Amino acid sequence: MSEVAATPSNHQSETFSARVLRQTIASNGARFGLAWIGLVTLCAVFAPLLANSHPLLMRVGGNWSSPLLEHLTWIDTTLLAAFFVGLGLWMQRRRLSGSRALLLMMVLVTIAGSISYATVSPPVAVVLDQYRTGLADGSIEEAIFVPIAYSPTDRSRDNPLSLTAPDRLHLMGTDEDGADVFSRMIHACRIALGIGLVATGIALAIGILYGGIMGFFTGWIEILMMRFLEIFESIPQLFLLLTVVAFFGRNIYLIMAVIGLTSWPGYARYLRAEFLKLRRQDFVQAAQASGLPIFSILFRHMLPNGVAPLLVAASFGIASAILAEAVLSFLGLGVVDEPSWGGMLNQAVGPGGTFAVWLATYPGLAIFLTVFAYNLIGEALRDAIDPHLQRPVS
Amino acid sequence: MTQYIVRRLLLMLPTLAGITVLVFAVMAMAPGGIGANLMTRGGDMRPEERAAMVAYLNKRYGLDQPMATQYLRWLNNVLPIGYETGPDGSRGKFGFKPPDLGMSFVKNRPVLDLIAEALPITLLLNALTIPLIFAGSILMGVYTARFRGQALDIGIGTANLALWSIPTIWMGVMLIGFLASEQYLKWFPTTGLESLRADSWTFLPSRTETGWQIGYLLDLLWHLVLPVFCLTYSGFAFLTKLTRSAVLENLLSDYARTARAKGVSEQVVLWRHVFRNSLLPLITVAASILPGLLVGSVIVETIFSIDGMGRLAVEAVQMRDREVVLSITLVTGILTLVSYLLVDICYALADPRVSYE
Repeated sequence: MSEVAATPSNHQSETFSARVLRQTIASNGARFGLAWIGLVTLCAVFAPLLANSHPLLMRVGGNWSSPLLEHLTWIDTTLLAAFFVGLGLWMQRRRLSGSRALLLMMVLVTIAGSISYATVSPPVAVVLDQYRTGLADGSIEEAIFVPIAYSPTDRSRDNPLSLTAPDRLHLMGTDEDGADVFSRMIHACRIALGIGLVATGIALAIGILYGGIMGFFTGWIEILMMRFLEIFESIPQLFLLLTVVAFFGRNIYLIMAVIGLTSWPGYARYLRAEFLKLRRQDFVQAAQASGLPIFSILFRHMLPNGVAPLLVAASFGIASAILAEAVLSFLGLGVVDEPSWGGMLNQAVGPGGTFAVWLATYPGLAIFLTVFAYNLIGEALRDAIDPHLQRPVS
Repeated sequence: MTQYIVRRLLLMLPTLAGITVLVFAVMAMAPGGIGANLMTRGGDMRPEERAAMVAYLNKRYGLDQPMATQYLRWLNNVLPIGYETGPDGSRGKFGFKPPDLGMSFVKNRPVLDLIAEALPITLLLNALTIPLIFAGSILMGVYTARFRGQALDIGIGTANLALWSIPTIWMGVMLIGFLASEQYLKWFPTTGLESLRADSWTFLPSRTETGWQIGYLLDLLWHLVLPVFCLTYSGFAFLTKLTRSAVLENLLSDYARTARAKGVSEQVVLWRHVFRNSLLPLITVAASILPGLLVGSVIVETIFSIDGMGRLAVEAVQMRDREVVLSITLVTGILTLVSYLLVDICYALADPRVSYE
């Protein structure tokens, strides 16, 4: 066995998941999708270092200081820490198994997050035009800015410019309130990525637990659970989302939770169908005969064999979660005061019928490319998993 | 089959009850309660006046009762069988009665009237969209299935996936911006479903003293072009992709080869043999497209300011108008469940192997 395993060119010997991964990455669509999501991830992690009104370095009265670093929030530092922990573990991937690396990552990020939460406390009252006015009247002698010298909530109070077309100062123009669109585009990557991952994570967790139990037990438990699932399926997600947001307030974590809590029935159905097939197989019968606890049979023996269709569904699910948040923000019920692609798109057509092309093109394109990227990855995964498509096209 | 349909219809009742309980619970648990939320407009009152007003509103709409009582009262009013309710809220005798969806808190009109105005508009949008999606995607899918080849397969597949991925909100904004604005082309109207003076027009185009007027029908169609396109394109792309792969797979199958070997013409193989078998996956996904259209009409009606169910829903939710929200939940729930049932019946009609006996 070891001799065969040592020759990676022999495709017969590789495991199912390795083959799926190889075939997925080999497709051009998935490569494009991964590249775009990689770019969005970089923007999300380094957003405060890419677009910020606070200068990276400034000199007042001969003393150098860095207002940018002083104004970082605990979320900024946690994201940065998570990124570098992930990068470090990726470098060490030959020495660590996948599950152990994942566990280590979670532990380290949790530690970094709690340290950041406890120690990082940026000033609450922030005046964002003070640097520009300071530079103009000479009280700030010198300042070095990051590439885009505007924060997403910098409404340029010193020089109000609402809805100006793209120019040298604002590469993607400004929005209704005079904030820089490029800066908002970059900071909005966070909401898009976060919504997709967290909401789908919640939905997957519930769906796996629910579908696993439903696929293993028969009789009235299954009938009852199926009815309950149908209730959740028949509620239009957007409608429930609107209701919850309108009655409980516009909170990003609430939106994530509601999208997650309404999109699990699909995963539960897929897993149930897989488990119904697996239930009759010998290895499950053997596990049952040897008296393993039910939890172990379901989730340690059956789940790894039935998880493939879930991954495809999850990839499409991330896309639709991002879309749901965009629609919510577009309808004016999104997160308050945080930049969001959908919210920017909402400002493109003014009440008087004016049309700001830059506010339609860039955010719309960003939503489209992100949704398209996840759909392409899902498609490539499905092609790699489906044995039906493995045969050569005649 | 009749027995199956009756059983499915009966099973809808607990599902509908579950949906409304869920939405009711979400609204009832909202911080401050509905009475306080209704007060958002009276900001200039003194605190004691405000408290008295909230108490009055709570009492008037029965919001001071326990949650379960409130829900059961609503259910009793909605059902065609139950206790009659007197004008003072007293309980009458048990029996058949007209269902009552209640009054809108905000608009102070019967909810039934609001829905009777909005539902036909949304149904009109969907009645135009569904045949367009299916006819268009079946023709396009079968047509593109004739062209085969590695690069072509990937190209057509990716193009369809891209079209499917375009967010409706973006498409709507771009269409309004470029085809219905003063700055670019003003080919289409931006809002509503009829022109300002359309009420006084004849149905068909006619000649008046001042010249030709386009008539009510053409005016309506002119207003419908952009909204219907927004509702159509993504379902069209999705189904085209599906039709194409199903037809491709069946064209390569053994039975198609046998038919060709017998001397059956390619047209007959395609439409009588292959096409019928390719219909099944289409019907399966129709179940997921129909509720999607209802959600789509929320977006499209908001973008194009059309007073349908979607816009009514968004307004009711923003105004926290409980009776309207509950009624819309009920109506969309019924529509969704009935469309699921229709899809299952179509499935049995298209495939003789499927039977629900």
